[in-house]
Formats: sequence, C-alpha cells, structure tokens
Amino acid sequence: MEQELVLLKRFEKDNEWFHKNTEKLQGEGFVGKFVAIKDSRLIASDKNVDVLIREIEKKGENPAFIVIEFVYPQGYTLIL
Amino acid sequence: MKRIPLEVTHFAGSLRAIAIFLLKSEDPHLFIPIRAIIDTGSPLTLIGTLDVKKARLSKIQLKKLEGEHKPVNIGGGKIFAVSLEKAKLRFSNDFEIEMPVNFPVSGDENSLQPSLLGIDFMLKTNAKLVLDPSKKEAYFEMED
Repeated sequence: MEQELVLLKRFEKDNEWFHKNTEKLQGEGFVGKFVAIKDSRLIASDKNVDVLIREIEKKGENPAFIVIEFVYPQGYTLIL
Repeated sequence: MKRIPLEVTHFAGSLRAIAIFLLKSEDPHLFIPIRAIIDTGSPLTLIGTLDVKKARLSKIQLKKLEGEHKPVNIGGGKIFAVSLEKAKLRFSNDFEIEMPVNFPVSGDENSLQPSLLGIDFMLKTNAKLVLDPSKKEAYFEMED
C-alpha cells in the first residue's frame, strides 16, 4: 500500500510540473505534441501518442506510470 | 468528515478540478495512475483513450469485459463504452472505493479525450463537491 502512495505522489508531482510549465512548453515548440514527464523532467515527445509510448518503453519505463499530456495551443478551449 | 483534495488548474483553456487516483483491477490486471477531470455533467466515469493506451489494454481485452456495453455521446462524437464493474479507485488520502468505470471500445477514437470522473462517483460515495475557482481550491467531502 505504501508503494501505491509513493507512485501516486510522484504522479501528482509530475502532473503539477506539467501544468506549471505548460506555457514554457508552448513557447518551446511542443504545441500539438504529446509530452512525457518523469521526475519533473521532459523525457520524450512526439505528435503521435503511439510512437511516444514506444519511445518510453525503449527507455525501459512503464508508460502507465509516466505522465503523458498533450500540449494545446494557447487560446484553445476544450468543451467536454 | 473525510476530504479528498483536488487540484484546480488551467487545462485546455479553462480552469478545471482534477482528481488523481490509482485505478486497480485484478481481471484484467490494471494498476495505473489516472488524472481525471471532475465532470458533474457526465453520468459515468470514463477512462480516456490515452490512459487505455498507456495501460496497454487492447480492444480485444476490453470487449471481453462482461459489464454493460453502452453508447456514449461525447464532445460531438459517439463511442461505445464497456464497464469494468469491480474497478478500485484509490486516492492519495488513502480513500479507496470499488465502482464501475467505463472504457471506450469503439467509435470515434480520440487520443485527446481525457479521463472523466463523473457524477456516478459522487453518488456511489455520497460525496459533495466543493469548488472555489477564484481560490483554486476544490475537494470532495464525504461522511466517514
């Protein structure tokens, strides 16, 4: 159970990193791409999420535990 | 009273309340952290296509699920979803609940469809949603 908590906390932290750095990523050419974040670091990116997942696996990581987010353009609004 | 803290952050052009939980299941085996948007307009909890891909769940595995298959209209498109009846959701405050969650199995595939924590979660847990966007504070509150 402790391991689950550690995993959740790490995921929360990486998710927070993404939201704090979204504008920076938008300005650095990642708009329209999926980005993978681990330990508050961008580890991979690609326009195609399947390619990105394979890239993460090649790095020896389990994609399930990695924060993967899409970088929307500034001003884009998603209505659910 | 028990509280599940939620993140309130800008996501895809708007301020949203977001929950992070661990989704667990024995069959099919699932163990994946999920970031879900709180969507009180959604009657059901839906795992997004991206999370399905991250969990390496194939359409064949999903179609084998014995839960209800139902059409879901979402974002102008239509998908078919199947429910995993005995999924477990664990939150970082140690709260865990067993409830059905839904997975897209066919229809308009959209990797951008986020996971949604729907009103079914609030009904199952008798939770109230407290959201203060101006202070960027949100949480679920439920009786012990």
